[in-house]
Amino acid sequence: MLTNDRLIRVVILLAFVLSVIAGCAAPAASPAAPGEAAAPAAEAGAMTEVGTLRSETLIVQTFDGKTNAPDNMNPLMGGYAIWRGFRELAWGYLWEMDTATGQSYPELAAELPVVLNDEYTQFEIRLRPGVYWSDGVEFTADDVIFTLDTYFNNKDKLTYFGVPVITNYVLSYEKVDDYTLRVETVKPAYDFATTMGVYTWGSAFNIVPSHVFGKVEDLAAFKNEYPVTLGAYTLKSYDPNGQWHLWERREDWDRSATAPLGEPVAHYVFYKNFGDEQTRTLAFIKNEYDVDTFMSPDSIEAAKAQNPNVHTFAAALPYHDMNDACSYGILLNNQKAPLDKPEVRWALALSLDLPSVGINSMSGQFKASAFPMPDTQITRPAFFEPLQAWLNDFALADGYKPYNPGFGTDMVNKLTEMGMDASLLPTGDAVTGNFGLGWWKTDPAEAEKLMNSVGMTKGADGFYTLSDGSPWTLELVIPSDWNKVMQRVGFSIADSWTKAGFKVNARQVDNGEFNTVQDTNTLLQSMVNWSTSCVFNTNFVNNWRTFSADYLKPVDSSEPINGNRARIDNQFIFDKIAEAGAMDMSKPEFLTAGQEVVKEMLTNMYYINMMNIPTTIPTNESYWTNFPKQDNAYAVPYTWWSSFKKILTSIEPVGQ
Amino acid sequence: MKLLQYMLQRFVMYLLILFIGITITFFLPRLMPGDPISNYISQVQARAGQSLSAEATQQLRDSLAELYGLQGDLFTQYTNYIGRVVRFDFGPSFTYYPEPVSNILLDALPWTAGLLIMTTLLAWLIGNGIGLIAGYYNKRRAAAALEIVGILLYPIPYYILALVVILVFAYWLALFPLSPTFLPGPMSWSKSVSIIHNSFLPALTLVLAGFGWNVLAMKALAVATKEDPYVQFARLKGTTDRTRMTQYVFRNAMLPQITALILSLGFIFNGAIQTEVIFSYPGIGMTMRAAAGAGDYNLLYGSIILTIFAVATVTLVLDLIYPLFDPRIRLGG
Repeated sequence: MLTNDRLIRVVILLAFVLSVIAGCAAPAASPAAPGEAAAPAAEAGAMTEVGTLRSETLIVQTFDGKTNAPDNMNPLMGGYAIWRGFRELAWGYLWEMDTATGQSYPELAAELPVVLNDEYTQFEIRLRPGVYWSDGVEFTADDVIFTLDTYFNNKDKLTYFGVPVITNYVLSYEKVDDYTLRVETVKPAYDFATTMGVYTWGSAFNIVPSHVFGKVEDLAAFKNEYPVTLGAYTLKSYDPNGQWHLWERREDWDRSATAPLGEPVAHYVFYKNFGDEQTRTLAFIKNEYDVDTFMSPDSIEAAKAQNPNVHTFAAALPYHDMNDACSYGILLNNQKAPLDKPEVRWALALSLDLPSVGINSMSGQFKASAFPMPDTQITRPAFFEPLQAWLNDFALADGYKPYNPGFGTDMVNKLTEMGMDASLLPTGDAVTGNFGLGWWKTDPAEAEKLMNSVGMTKGADGFYTLSDGSPWTLELVIPSDWNKVMQRVGFSIADSWTKAGFKVNARQVDNGEFNTVQDTNTLLQSMVNWSTSCVFNTNFVNNWRTFSADYLKPVDSSEPINGNRARIDNQFIFDKIAEAGAMDMSKPEFLTAGQEVVKEMLTNMYYINMMNIPTTIPTNESYWTNFPKQDNAYAVPYTWWSSFKKILTSIEPVGQ
Repeated sequence: MKLLQYMLQRFVMYLLILFIGITITFFLPRLMPGDPISNYISQVQARAGQSLSAEATQQLRDSLAELYGLQGDLFTQYTNYIGRVVRFDFGPSFTYYPEPVSNILLDALPWTAGLLIMTTLLAWLIGNGIGLIAGYYNKRRAAAALEIVGILLYPIPYYILALVVILVFAYWLALFPLSPTFLPGPMSWSKSVSIIHNSFLPALTLVLAGFGWNVLAMKALAVATKEDPYVQFARLKGTTDRTRMTQYVFRNAMLPQITALILSLGFIFNGAIQTEVIFSYPGIGMTMRAAAGAGDYNLLYGSIILTIFAVATVTLVLDLIYPLFDPRIRLGG
């Protein structure tokens, strides 16, 4: 008979077995690439889970969570592990982008491209001597020529997006000597440095080592598992399950593509997926990593409250860096009735209570932008400031002036009324610096006038009907919880519109369906989106070149579009974009053309832009400091942009 | 003869279930509003921060349709697909082209199967063991205490249970990592220890989540069975408590529990998504979630077919071995 005592003994035994398993907390062995020695063990000091000294390792949350192809480092294929440091640590480009200014600078090239003819179709590329691949072979013009050959000869097999970009852009090329080559483009190419180099952060032209790729028979199947690199780091080890990658600084970093920026400070850079937001927040509080990506404001607040070393980009509202290349807005299908009427689109804009949307979904941590582009330190002087006078005078057909230049002050007042500590709120010029130069008035009464002017009146249920009196429900597509910030913004918009008399069906979709909705006429009415507004620097054509009749399909067509997602059908805009595409981008006329496009887009309210994407990049400064902050903005703070190259040379070890 | 007929019927049913499941898996995603080529182009444009020209877009679209095997009419695609699936070839992943889906699944499968089979068995063994003791000695205070443990654990939503386990063992006590770090390289002692260490929290959560139901179910069965006349008869014959509990009560009470065990083993992939996402644990669940999010049809097909295959096969095995446990079926009773 099993007595109570024996039962207790069984339970104790069970607990003991569990403890033994728990005790299997042996320190992680140092992983290493095949044939490599493991990282040296330290006499003292905390170690990372992958066997490196914590004080020498910068640890970063991965941008893409987990990858299913961690071993694919072949940049000629679309599915390669780009988000794991490949771009920032391992590769080099002809021209890189200074993300603080929006200006290109030479990286593998010795100087900016030399233009050889008045038509801007012939260029000379001069390479920087003394750049070496990580296996000791010198980088020369042969690598560039080999890559161009590879693009053209394998364009049906290679899935990297840059292959069709370059093969439709370059007409011919020739080597002049080991450090010089000439390229002719199909059309005038004033954007040569950003198309053959880096625009925002990605490059269409990934140069590969001819001495490695030249020996490969099937380039599409080639994994390039441990790549020979041009950047200052090489891949030391990775998780075959796709959760982490560990990079080690090259001993000969001074012969790498990024050498002119200086010596990268961290000996190792460890990219790891720390999991769902809850576990990530806990790991961040426990100093397990240094830089996060897109943590929600609530989690950041919680982490800051628990750990004094957790910092946001700014100490006061809106706390985060607001200089992303894209912005959140409402994509409208301008071809679909009744959204084809500017009065309806304007009514939607004026019914949107953006202060409430921003406070409800982002705790007021946002920067408004009335233009169809983000308001950044680069775009503000180019587009926003020159058009402020026009905006103030701008009136709708009925004479109503919709612009509210006091939006920032209104935000401060509203947050003060809500009881926010005044020390956390911006004052003076910082008001427009942080909350934006202005946005549209919230005026449901004017919205109702506009709706009534096109025969759309409110029914007995208080919601607008179609002009024939039948009920109208506006479908608003929003991301499900794969993008929690946009999801919250979407629900707040739906709430705001519903209060103003629009019956809204807020439909949450997964990532895959989200892309399809934006690209298929039959599926799209309105959606929270960012893809139409990605204007990073003065080159607005880069994103808006698809404002063209080529991208318009019949309104009931289910053919994919992949461009002109707002379905803009405006010959003035088409002509301006086409003209600008053939203009010298450094000339004032180019910017004027962009400003004309902006005015036309606003006059018709083709796209209701709302706010810069709030890129929340909290840092934990227990091990490393001197990350970019508002008062030390030497680069944008992103780990997945060119800026990371500069960050790596600028951070400072705390000495723990 | 009857037994053979019974087995044959079950096998035909098994093949039919697989065929229907595989067919639905082919057509369902195509009825969903998602286009893998559009997805891919949208993603790469977003990554590049650039828009492609109309010609470049069309060129990329044609090239991807051919590479992904999406050219031709639906019937041709379907027949090709059936032919491939039989060979465990689900084509290339759209997101990670040209990586074969079968490779991705084979990499993920051991993690899911290892964790979930082990924890399902453990939860079953521990839960039923405790349930049996609690049911057989149901008048004692210790039995009531054990039942309370089951009652307390059973209704807790898995997500909450997982967070509590993470908070206690990984955050406060710091005995285990908040997110796993599995090391590459060949299997060794230190690697095995590292895997156990990193898998312990998801395993513990799964055992705790499954254990409560087993305690309650087995306790109820044991209480009822121990009053049956054949158990009373055994007691009168002078058998020991232990003999009656294990040989008489347990053997008869375990039949429905075995059914539940085998069905839970078949459904392990269904529970994989939540566990793997919460604990960042590699496996089929994470793969399936990523595939659904990215519109990677081939990877989604592969994951779902694997699940269908697992459930159908386990059900078949259950049908085939049930006669061993229950003579009434064996004898056609």
